[in-house]
Amino acid sequence: MEFDAYAFDDGVYDEMFQAAGAPRPHCRNLHDWLLRLSAEEIGGIQEWVTRSFLNEGITFTVYGEGEADERIIPIDCLPRIVSAADWRLIESGLEQRILALNRFLADVYGEGRIVEDGVVPADMVYGCPQYRREMRGVQPAHGTWVSVCGTDIVRTNDGFYVLEDNLRVPSGVSYMIANRKAMKSSLRRLYRLCRVREVEDYGRRLLQTLREVAPEGCTDPAVVVLTPGVGNAAFYEHMFLAHELGAELVEGRDLVVRDDVLYMKTTEGLRRIDVVYRRIDDDYLDPLAFRADSVLGVPGLVAAHRAGNVALANVPGTGVADDKSNYAFVPDMIRYYLGEEPILANVPTHLCRRAEDLEYTLDNLEHLVVKEVGGAGGYGMLVGPHATPAERQAYAERLRAAPAGFIAQPVLALSRAPCVVDGRSEPRHVDLRPYVLRGSETRIVPGAFCRVALRRGSLVVNSSQGGGGKDLWVLSDQEPDAVA
Amino acid sequence: MLSRSAEGLYWMGRYFERTGHLCRLLRWQVESLVDRPIREIHFGWYRIYGSLGRPIPGADAELVGGDDDFMLVDSFALADDLTFERSNVDSVWSGFTLGRENARQMRHYLSAEVWTNLNQAYLKFRDLRIEDIWKTAPESFYEALGYDIDALAGAADTTMYHDDAWRFMRIGCFIERAQLTISLILAHVAATRRTGESLNDDWSSLLRVCQALDVYRRRYGVTIRPDRVLDLLVTDERLPRSLTRGMDAVAEELATIKAGPGPAAEALRLARSLAETIRGDWPVRPDLDLRERVLDELRQACRKLHRLIVAAYVDYPVKDRPSN
Repeated sequence: MEFDAYAFDDGVYDEMFQAAGAPRPHCRNLHDWLLRLSAEEIGGIQEWVTRSFLNEGITFTVYGEGEADERIIPIDCLPRIVSAADWRLIESGLEQRILALNRFLADVYGEGRIVEDGVVPADMVYGCPQYRREMRGVQPAHGTWVSVCGTDIVRTNDGFYVLEDNLRVPSGVSYMIANRKAMKSSLRRLYRLCRVREVEDYGRRLLQTLREVAPEGCTDPAVVVLTPGVGNAAFYEHMFLAHELGAELVEGRDLVVRDDVLYMKTTEGLRRIDVVYRRIDDDYLDPLAFRADSVLGVPGLVAAHRAGNVALANVPGTGVADDKSNYAFVPDMIRYYLGEEPILANVPTHLCRRAEDLEYTLDNLEHLVVKEVGGAGGYGMLVGPHATPAERQAYAERLRAAPAGFIAQPVLALSRAPCVVDGRSEPRHVDLRPYVLRGSETRIVPGAFCRVALRRGSLVVNSSQGGGGKDLWVLSDQEPDAVA
Repeated sequence: MLSRSAEGLYWMGRYFERTGHLCRLLRWQVESLVDRPIREIHFGWYRIYGSLGRPIPGADAELVGGDDDFMLVDSFALADDLTFERSNVDSVWSGFTLGRENARQMRHYLSAEVWTNLNQAYLKFRDLRIEDIWKTAPESFYEALGYDIDALAGAADTTMYHDDAWRFMRIGCFIERAQLTISLILAHVAATRRTGESLNDDWSSLLRVCQALDVYRRRYGVTIRPDRVLDLLVTDERLPRSLTRGMDAVAEELATIKAGPGPAAEALRLARSLAETIRGDWPVRPDLDLRERVLDELRQACRKLHRLIVAAYVDYPVKDRPSN
């Protein structure tokens, strides 16, 4: 595979090259190995990876007018490599962040000191739609509100930035493991040479985490994974996690609450459940506590949780900490609770609820990314430089009408990594989503789901909007062997 | 295990058994198009549709007379209806995809070998149309899919842990098999009455569909006698597809599963009594009418057994707080 035509750009951090034609030291093995492969051989690997996803049914379902269509996420066969030193930085930053976020949640559902001390405005916490009053006074084991977090991180020439913390039901971890399995098989020799750190024991670490957050006094907790059902786009992942955990994959209709105790309906009668790894949004979790029209949830589940009879991971109400407005305050939370400076930077964020920020945003729309505070999946946002004047004008009107519903950030030059496009290597923008587990301690597997904006020039990596994925290799501290 | 999972695996077993059965029926049916008389081909279609309890599409049309061209056009349409028609709940496509859908939802119970084999079979099947398989030898399509389903059963047997999940899958498979075999025999007898003839070739093809022709020859020789065909398919304990064998297997699996709060004991009693009924009450006298009546009673009993199993392990009422 040739890199002669690879469009290196000084203004954008390239994950493989430090200068045109000059690979970064930790990517040299991958680079040298690729040079030896013909376009046909690379094409064969790409096809094999895609085929393996299809054969194993690693799919998500799209429901249209006709039959449901099972699709795979497009996977690029060139791994992104992260050096051991970079990973150490990411890891320590993530650990710091999840500690602070859990303290924040315990605080705002308890005494509310951070609000009283004026660090975070009261209305941004208590007025946030994701703040669940039903959770006030709840004291989960080890003060752990967030057991599973998927943090989106991007890299620029200035370093790493946290794009957002996904603290509700972060998805994608199954792709991290499936990507690894496929890449390990197809790039066997290179994989061994590079001394890549393993991610396969994610399930064991997750189970350990979930057992740690079980209700007090529960020595051998029964754990289940709660899914909205097969119609959910992430159903494959729910099934995968149940398999990894050796747990039952349950739906709301499989569970009942009696006297504030949760039971699962089994072939032998009702069986008590102690920990629920729920993959259902707060709104649909319990029709008695949240949306009354939910048929996916379990009536009485929140009451059972409040009574201390069942643990929920993550605890309902964690969304208040990953709301796009409150995101801006995470560095302050780290300083406030931990007395430390943030290791990983936030993207500078303008809160349009503030008059001066709104004015700045309106004056600089063509240079900014504007997002809805409650938005997700890359929907409802404006990428200023890529938008037409008419689109910017329409968005400005929305901003003026409800400024508190928006934040604005500078357009980051997301790093790029080589991808196989029509048999050639072309740079595409990437981010990474590592998964952080927190029970009585923090656990982070050395890997991530690396998301790729497959359309040339696009900065949108979300799979719902044409994004794909690639494997991410975290190298061990040991010096890798050179390609023989 | 989770009740819904038990139900899903039970239905997975049923759907794949149903699909394999229909593949065998269609395989021999389309093979017969090459050289068998038109009467025999019509007999085959009546038997298939009769066993499914469905009228032949084309409303009141009688498949009578006609020349070879008509017969082939009819057969093409009927094979399409029974193989690829999405709206036909009894088609091969429907059975296979419903089985796979159950498997997809219960995948964490299946071994990787079972799931991957199944999914690869699905990927081969997914984009085919009747025109694709009709061009050369359509029987090879049914043969291959049938092998894939047999391979699934083998993979489940050799790679899955033999726990309740595996047992519910087997129970589904054996109950479905019993019902299909009874329905097929009764449809065969009905089709025989319709044509007014009972031909050796028809009975041979019945044995072939039940994978019992070679066994019959070894046991009884080459002369095909209807009463012996029925004796073999109903009472032979060593024949994998016989009713006795199936009911014994259901009883054996039910006895191993821990009883739930529903009528599990009643289900087990019925399964055991069915096997005993076949052994004790199967008419020795080759009286077709009498045997038909016994088979019909067995069919009703199989349906009752299905209802009892669902009531015992899946749909039992949940009212009170459990004692544990």
